[in-house]
Amino acid sequence: MLEVAIKKELPDFVLDIQFRVPDEILVLFGPSGCGKTTTLRCIAGLDKPDEGYIHYNRKSFFESKESIFVPPCDRNIGYVFQEYALFPHMTIRNNILYGAKSAQEENQPLFEKLLELLKIHHLLERSIDKLSGGEKQRVALARALMARPQILLLDEPLSALEETTRLELQSEFKNMQQLLNIPFVLVTHNWEEAQFMGEQIVFMDRGKKVERPDYFK
Amino acid sequence: MVDWQPVYLSIKIAFTSVVIVFVLGITAAIVMRRLQFPGKAAVEAIMTLPMVLPPVVTGFILLLLIGKQGAVGQFLDSYLGVQLVFTPYAAVLAGTVVAFPLMYQSAKAAFRSIDTQLEDAARTLGASEGRVFLTITLPLAWHGLAAGVVLSFARALGEFGATIMVAGNIPGKTQTIPLAIYFASEANDLTTAGIYVIIISILTFLAVFGLNTWAGEK
Amino acid sequence: MEKKVNSIILIVIVLLSIVGCSSQAMKEKQSQPIEVTVSAASSLKDALIEIQNHYQILHPSVKIVYNMGASGSLQKQIEEGAPVDIFISAAKKQMDVLQNKNLIKEETRKDFLKNQLVLIVPLQSKILVTEFAGLNESTVKQFAMGAPESVPAGQYAQQVLIKSNIYNDIQSKIVLAKDVRTVLTYVETGNVDAGIVYKTDAAVSDKVKIVAVAPEGSHELILYPAAVLTASKQSKVAEEFLDYLTSAESIVVFERYGFLVNR
Repeated sequence: MLEVAIKKELPDFVLDIQFRVPDEILVLFGPSGCGKTTTLRCIAGLDKPDEGYIHYNRKSFFESKESIFVPPCDRNIGYVFQEYALFPHMTIRNNILYGAKSAQEENQPLFEKLLELLKIHHLLERSIDKLSGGEKQRVALARALMARPQILLLDEPLSALEETTRLELQSEFKNMQQLLNIPFVLVTHNWEEAQFMGEQIVFMDRGKKVERPDYFK
Repeated sequence: MVDWQPVYLSIKIAFTSVVIVFVLGITAAIVMRRLQFPGKAAVEAIMTLPMVLPPVVTGFILLLLIGKQGAVGQFLDSYLGVQLVFTPYAAVLAGTVVAFPLMYQSAKAAFRSIDTQLEDAARTLGASEGRVFLTITLPLAWHGLAAGVVLSFARALGEFGATIMVAGNIPGKTQTIPLAIYFASEANDLTTAGIYVIIISILTFLAVFGLNTWAGEK
Repeated sequence: MEKKVNSIILIVIVLLSIVGCSSQAMKEKQSQPIEVTVSAASSLKDALIEIQNHYQILHPSVKIVYNMGASGSLQKQIEEGAPVDIFISAAKKQMDVLQNKNLIKEETRKDFLKNQLVLIVPLQSKILVTEFAGLNESTVKQFAMGAPESVPAGQYAQQVLIKSNIYNDIQSKIVLAKDVRTVLTYVETGNVDAGIVYKTDAAVSDKVKIVAVAPEGSHELILYPAAVLTASKQSKVAEEFLDYLTSAESIVVFERYGFLVNR
């Protein structure tokens, strides 16, 4: 269970959000600029909240009262970026294997499985600039999962893609989560996507949780 | 026919200066990128100063610092029994000081051009700050850093004003090619001066060509 | 509407300034002072500036412009056609070269000043040396002098050291400088134990003391020849200034800075 309760002062408002994520997909839904990305970055350890806590099961990633802050490299939290953030100076294979922890032989089965599930086997020897958006995102997902994360964060992973690809990947992400059975926190401003993916939807506006707006009932 | 001493000396001194400047310049760029502190702008200005001041002035300032009566000079003399002035080490110091701003600015620009999201991605994949730097930041900054090395080498090789002030013109010890050219031309020995000009041009060409090829392969 | 008014005002201002400038220029042309360019060795700087001030008061229609540098560089500039009217060198060599190339008006040449070579040490120095031969002592670890091939003061220094029979022995102690000012700086900052400069240079600094004066005959006469150049476009005015420079009035100034008159 991922438990988040953080406060952070931002230029236009104060981010003040709390939620709990069991092994399911929680969607953070709201207009752009409402603090969704900052929340994700705080969970990952890329940004630091001013106060509050971030716990997972019985571990503490962040606890302001005891000045605990675990750096991102030690949190084992995967992150899928909106613009993929694939390493341009590495091959696709090395991109995917970048976060692999154990020795080569132990990685092979997981590596093969991910290639199969995400249908990217044929892309291994291609160069990154020859991939389509959808293909890049699949690779990004494979890369994040290769590191065996205990939580996966997705920041508008599909908004740069066109409709058909988006729908395809939505199903794949959902399947992934059910397969891995770990908490996913997905940020989106697309209502259909939120409805389809989210077992739990948190509505955000100007940094705070709000009631489900009438429009979305 | 031509004395090869200045050539060996120049190569050794410029090479040493560039190595030092490479480490210092990159370190400074990293530190300034990460840290915020009061007076940061002043530190930036000081680090850029050698590029702006006439080299002779830079040399004079160095002389005041490391000379027999300077703060650093006295320290080195009392604790290590070492005198820097009029030695090749002073020439290396002069080359390093004038080339530093070039490497620093190049490194700064190179690091700035990197998408921080890539570094963040590496962190979420479990990379420590050291691994992020070595596997993401440095490789992506490589072209900018190589350009910095080329600039620094050229500058250190051609350094005259500060060198002559603080290292003097001692054949075999501190007479680099630029000094040899100057003194030869002042003594109306234009043949010798001309030969040295050709040699230093060839050296520069080789260095630039070599560095660009090496950097281009990465 | 406002934009149009602003542009009109701007155009009027520009036109007025152009007209204003050209009428000023016309006025200036009528009363423009004649410029006399003097290339002079740096060691003469302070004395020359004082003399320039005197001359400008007496002759407001003449503007003296100084170009100071090392005699060798100045000589080369003139050879390459620099528009110079008068040349004052710190040694005979450079003037002789120009004379052989017919670049100076021989009849205007006057070898009018002399200088002396001195041995200096830092003011606080405890080294006991009373003559140039003392440079061979073990208490003197390093000393500075101008490079003989390019700095006249260095040539004279070399002559003195050869005359004192120590030139070969002290080779390892020499730090060659590109000009006399650098030698002075090295001694002032204590980075060398001693230095050889002109008496006139030592006089300028309060951080050094003179411990020896090179005796007459130990080196070629340090002469300062001055002459008007053949290419001078205002040779008459230049000659007038040269006469003033070599007159009794100016000699007094030169002597005050440590130069000697050459009779």
